[in-house]
Amino acid sequence: MPLILKQYHLNMLTEIIIFALFAVSYNLLLGYAGLLSFGHAMFFGLGAFMTAVAIIHIPGLALWNAILIGVVTTIIAGFVIGSLLLRHKGAYFALLTLAFNALFYAVATKWHSVTGGDDGLSITRPDLSLGFTSISMASLTHFYYLTLIIVGAAIVFCWYFTHTAMGKTVLLMRENEERMKFLGYNTNISRLLLFTFTGAVAGLAGSFYTLHFQFVSISAISVDMTTAVLLMAFVGGTKTFWGPILGAFVYIILQNYLSNITDRWPLFMGFIFVSMVLFIPGGLSEVIMNIRQRLFGKKDNNGGKSAASEEV
Amino acid sequence: MNEIPVFFLHGLAYAGLLFLVSAGLTLVFGMMNVLNFAHAAMYMLGAYFSYSIMMHFTGQFWLSLLVCPAILFIIGALIERFLLRRVHKFGHVQELLLTFGLAYIITELVKWYWGNYPLAVNIGGFLGSTIQIIGITYPVYRIFIFLCAIFVGTVMALILYKTRLGIILRAAVNDSEMTNTLGVNVPLVFMGVFAFGAALSGFAGVIAGPLLSTFPGMAQEILLDAFVVIVVGGFGSLGGAVVASLLIGQLQSFGVLLFPKLSIALVYLLMAVVLIIKPSGLFGEEQ
Repeated sequence: MPLILKQYHLNMLTEIIIFALFAVSYNLLLGYAGLLSFGHAMFFGLGAFMTAVAIIHIPGLALWNAILIGVVTTIIAGFVIGSLLLRHKGAYFALLTLAFNALFYAVATKWHSVTGGDDGLSITRPDLSLGFTSISMASLTHFYYLTLIIVGAAIVFCWYFTHTAMGKTVLLMRENEERMKFLGYNTNISRLLLFTFTGAVAGLAGSFYTLHFQFVSISAISVDMTTAVLLMAFVGGTKTFWGPILGAFVYIILQNYLSNITDRWPLFMGFIFVSMVLFIPGGLSEVIMNIRQRLFGKKDNNGGKSAASEEV
Repeated sequence: MNEIPVFFLHGLAYAGLLFLVSAGLTLVFGMMNVLNFAHAAMYMLGAYFSYSIMMHFTGQFWLSLLVCPAILFIIGALIERFLLRRVHKFGHVQELLLTFGLAYIITELVKWYWGNYPLAVNIGGFLGSTIQIIGITYPVYRIFIFLCAIFVGTVMALILYKTRLGIILRAAVNDSEMTNTLGVNVPLVFMGVFAFGAALSGFAGVIAGPLLSTFPGMAQEILLDAFVVIVVGGFGSLGGAVVASLLIGQLQSFGVLLFPKLSIALVYLLMAVVLIIKPSGLFGEEQ
């Protein structure tokens, strides 16, 4: 890809991949498990900050370790917060996640000795050391490949997860939790594991966010960031795995091009969002699948049975 | 030593404001199981409409106090009738997303029309002055806020507990399906309560504007505190909203005095504690 794209577009593509991971992790909660969280950015931001703080305070830190620190911290955070919040359902849960996100944001703002407060933290990307050789990550092309490989692998792993036994348990839990309990599944543990997992994945995305921009500020852990990923996942389509990826793509492209035209581009995104909530709850992926069905007849998409083919 | 009464009164004033915003929110949630993110946006609209009325039309505060809630009542009714009802069949998540999206759009529209910076609203005359109370000089306006809240709260309590309409409302909060079966036009009640909540929120916004300054972030600012109030007080409970508002008002006020660095976290901590000990809130019922 770097062969055919200019620097600017490569930059954007890397950003899209990172946010695609973030959105996919969010959709595992929202679309798959039916858990509406208004606080996902706290994991993203936590991963982002931990990586930055680690790089700043530990001279000569290896790239892997910086990322690892981000991920491990979010695993712990996800587990702790999940244990506290998951016992509550629906709106309570949503509210609590919002409150915790705001809490994280407030703490990050006040603690500027560590987080840089409103000013943020700047870092330089450590080199990637593979034991036998060291590849500089200063070049955007190199970093793009790294992102493509690692973050891409993470996205694939998430996809794989939805096909594992645990993944399917979570999915089925959304459909009928009572029945799952009768069947002997401990739904609470499933939920907690999912929450921790998605938090960790978001943390990974956050780490890469910091590495990509070589800068992190409190906006990464803000409710605005949660709003952004919510929009991405929903507009892309929560009912498919690839919906959020599409959503991330659309959002970032729109953000880049619309913000050149108008200052009020969030309003435009908001309108799209509300229109979809009202009329096309499946998001863009539903639109695309509808178009596909019309063009190609009763073609099965995404491995699922469409209602039409079932009637046959 | 003079500070304590001042902070106490500050706490009362903020509690009054919180109550005005949360009362509508808790009723809507108790009744329709919809958490209305747009509620705080109504509050903000109230403040902004009031600004426009005062700055560009006649400059009468009393006029704002009457007109803005009326406008918001209509807006609230329209939202419920045409938007919220449509997504009801998709489920709770969808409803939450809608109110969230609406709040987002309203905030952006406000920024577009009025600008992304704080606006000052000046209250002149008696309300803008100070009086002597319990040995200290205190701004009249804050006392006014508290008195407004008491007035509104009392009226609401009277309606809810002493009138037939009140019985219907409480029944709808308690068990809307049954109430519907008994012949009450529940959709109309829903619309009415939602609209009333919006109007109340707008009223709070009109009052809050001069005090807390009118800016696009004011919705988010009060939203979290209002949510904490209804979680602590219990969803659907007006009495709970009263107690919780007072609690949080004082917590915010003295929190800033005693623990300046932690003050933001205090409120969330309270919510976390309540949720762990009694998840349905102080006065709420098990869902």
